Amino acid sequence: MSAGAPEADDLARLLERASLGERAAFAELYRATSAKLFAVSLRIVRERQLAEEVLQDSYVAIWNHAAEYSRAKSAPGTWMAAIVRNRSLDLLRRGSREVEDVDEVLAGRLVDEGAAPAADLERRAGEHAVRECLGELEPDQRQSIALAFYHGLSHSELAGHLRRPLGTVKTHIRRGLARLRECLERTGAVER
Amino acid sequence: MRLTDPDLRHALAASYVLGTLRGPARRRFARAVQADPGLARLVTRWEDYLTPLAENVAPVAPPARLWPSIEARLGHARTPRPAGLWGNVSFWRWLGTGFATAAIALLAVTFGLRGPPPADAPALVAVLSTPEQAPRMVIEESRGVLKVRVTAPWPPSATQDHELWVVPREGAPRSLGVVPLAGEAQLRPAQLERLLEGGIAFAVSLEPRGGSPTGAPTGAILCSGPIARSKRA
Repeated sequence: MSAGAPEADDLARLLERASLGERAAFAELYRATSAKLFAVSLRIVRERQLAEEVLQDSYVAIWNHAAEYSRAKSAPGTWMAAIVRNRSLDLLRRGSREVEDVDEVLAGRLVDEGAAPAADLERRAGEHAVRECLGELEPDQRQSIALAFYHGLSHSELAGHLRRPLGTVKTHIRRGLARLRECLERTGAVER
Repeated sequence: MRLTDPDLRHALAASYVLGTLRGPARRRFARAVQADPGLARLVTRWEDYLTPLAENVAPVAPPARLWPSIEARLGHARTPRPAGLWGNVSFWRWLGTGFATAAIALLAVTFGLRGPPPADAPALVAVLSTPEQAPRMVIEESRGVLKVRVTAPWPPSATQDHELWVVPREGAPRSLGVVPLAGEAQLRPAQLERLLEGGIAFAVSLEPRGGSPTGAPTGAILCSGPIARSKRA
């Protein structure tokens, strides 16, 4: 993760040993990652008690699913942080009343979705590529995406925070994500 | 309706990972991801795009009590606590009153309702059900061999084993060994008869690979069921 923290390879090895039932390796993994992951959750859920619940659930899930982790797919830190972020976001009730949200309209179309052709390639992103690509975005786009990512702000919360119309914020996010994807694919951090 | 437009799929996966997809829409999308491997890969990809940003967050140490409670939830607590799950009153109440009807039906078939049982009939039989009363496993004992048949298999696990216990009316559960998550097995524990003596129920617990390290059940009870003995036994 960050400087002074274990390298991705170390974490991957710990995960692998944990997947074989080695508790000492799992304890080491916890020591190496829990402060970072607690901070990630705390920023989103904003209550220590909720963040503690998220962390407990996440490490139970990490232990139970360690065997499914694959180095070929994601960096170990990314895999674990995604578990923590998902649980944190699932817990949020804020913003759940955004019935007019365009995302909800789109998601509604997924209800009857069958299995789609597995055409997408999975590729591992470069560790720092996302930050470089964020630097290429318009300041408004970058700010909206960062606030949503780090603080778990919904579209309407972002609008309030940035004092912008809801539609403008949604456009910033949507265009920002599209440009981010385009940049990451162009720089070869991920392949299309 | 199928969502086939790649840009729409990307937009939804991105807002799911970013966190701006909320509430019921988030849950619907999560369900769609489970049924759609292509969409799941797209989510993984967006996680790879965005989640490295989390490395920028300044660490905050969680409280020290958190690790022991994680260990306890995983059944890794250093001291086995028979007063926990296994001393749980509701478990015993459930065992006592929630006698699975499937067990009765099976008994009728196995032991027969007419005439004496054939010589090779099992001496005891049990149907093990989950706490939700779903039957998962059938166990028969015959001449020192314990036949275990998983009727509703669990998904394979590389990290955990299921361990079978006989629960006596009094005292601690006794291990009968690790049982498969699917299919059938024959267990021949030494001194089976003594192990089963006074046993009123079988139970299966979730344990780390290789079985309980303490000799007592440490993990959750996956299924259990009362033992029925034939009159001969």
